[in-house]
Amino acid sequence: MPPLLEIRNLSFAYEGSTALVFDRLNLTVQKGEFILIKGPSGTGKSTLLRLICRLNQPQGGSILFQGNDTTSIVPAKLRSLVSYVAQIPQMIDATVEENLLLPFSFAINAGKTRPGTEELKAMLCKFYLADISPVQSAMKLSIGQKQRLALMRALLQEPLLLLLDEPTSALDHESAAMVFSIMERLNTEEHKTLITVTHIDYKPETVRPLIYKLVHRSLHLHESDH
Amino acid sequence: MNQIINISTGQLLLALVFILIAQATSFIYHLGLNRDITIGTLRTFSQLFLMGYVLTYILKTSNPFLVVSVFMVMVVSAMFIIKGRVREKQIPYIIPTFFTMFVSYLATALFVSGLIIGITPWWEPRYFIPAGGMVIGNSMSALAISLERMFRDMRQQKELVEMQLSLGANYREASLNIFRNAVSAGMIPSINAMMGVGLVFIPGMMSGQILAGTDPLIAIRYQIVVMLMLVGSTALSSIIVMLIVRRRCFGSGEEVLLSPH
Repeated sequence: MPPLLEIRNLSFAYEGSTALVFDRLNLTVQKGEFILIKGPSGTGKSTLLRLICRLNQPQGGSILFQGNDTTSIVPAKLRSLVSYVAQIPQMIDATVEENLLLPFSFAINAGKTRPGTEELKAMLCKFYLADISPVQSAMKLSIGQKQRLALMRALLQEPLLLLLDEPTSALDHESAAMVFSIMERLNTEEHKTLITVTHIDYKPETVRPLIYKLVHRSLHLHESDH
Repeated sequence: MNQIINISTGQLLLALVFILIAQATSFIYHLGLNRDITIGTLRTFSQLFLMGYVLTYILKTSNPFLVVSVFMVMVVSAMFIIKGRVREKQIPYIIPTFFTMFVSYLATALFVSGLIIGITPWWEPRYFIPAGGMVIGNSMSALAISLERMFRDMRQQKELVEMQLSLGANYREASLNIFRNAVSAGMIPSINAMMGVGLVFIPGMMSGQILAGTDPLIAIRYQIVVMLMLVGSTALSSIIVMLIVRRRCFGSGEEVLLSPH
């Protein structure tokens, strides 16, 4: 069985710049792993996640998903399997339910079962969103609520890999704790594979993460309880 | 009654009074438009005189290559005007826009002069060049509006587009609203023109025909054809250009290439 994700000799520089952000970066991710990538702001942590789901294109190297080069996978297919959740949650100007069902309006997810309203309500509870109604506008939610909703929406299309870009950086302490708790539960209970980038000092309580540091344009295994 | 009164050079210069009014307004209220008004006036005189001489020559020689060449020059000029208005450097849109304009306007002008008006030969310059000119002039504005709007929205809503891409949308699904809004923004002026025509304004071509002594009932038939032609050619060229240019806003991995300013 090939690893879930394998990054080989990845090189990247921003358009119009010759300075490399990544230089022959390597990473292997096995199914079920909980990976934390740490490093100061501006080292390219978010860019790394964006490269994995092809929102940016690398200058060199390759990224394999389940053994296949990601450039050989239809982009929409890749992104339904490898779901990226941005730092600032984005909602369409519609209800909570319409936002949650948005992935099902896309051709690639046409064959997947849409969750019913009751199912969505039950899920909202699990995401600490019991107090919001599926029919209310998503635009009026707080940023912490939007972040949890964005996580829930990404999960509804059942991706194999979740890429979380600084999921708590815009949140207060309480909201951040909720998001961390959700992330850990997704790994322990639903066996989801997660790659989270963060610049804050977060130590998971219930999972054993693989912690990488992004320094000198490449990743270094920093800490592992495995 | 059908005697056309010529405008003498002196009378033509007298019309500059209108420009003086505009210049005075800009000067008094510091609108900063004096230079543009001067350049615009000079260009109106020189370009129209040039066009007058070219048309006189073309009408005399009746050469289809010459007629199509004039048409080509008009499309190239329109392209430069669009380029000046859109000012987009990241996405290459000029070449597809040019070819679409040339082909779709040629098709529209041919349809109108050849089939609806039924002129032989189809390139009869007296009909073909004014028809082509009106199509180019109107659709050019529509294209400039649509392109400018799409590039602007794609930049401003980049994160929203990327959110949809991240949820499995293909580039067409992720940019559907931006695309629709941009195309309709370009088409609205020509649709609105159909609403107001004959009530609020008398279009230039019809006015010209009436001034030149044509029966108003014939002039309106021409004008109806022109109005419909403008809506159709705008829709056709906008859709083709926007479909091609929208694809160019995304890279090989269907990632958004435009970045916010």
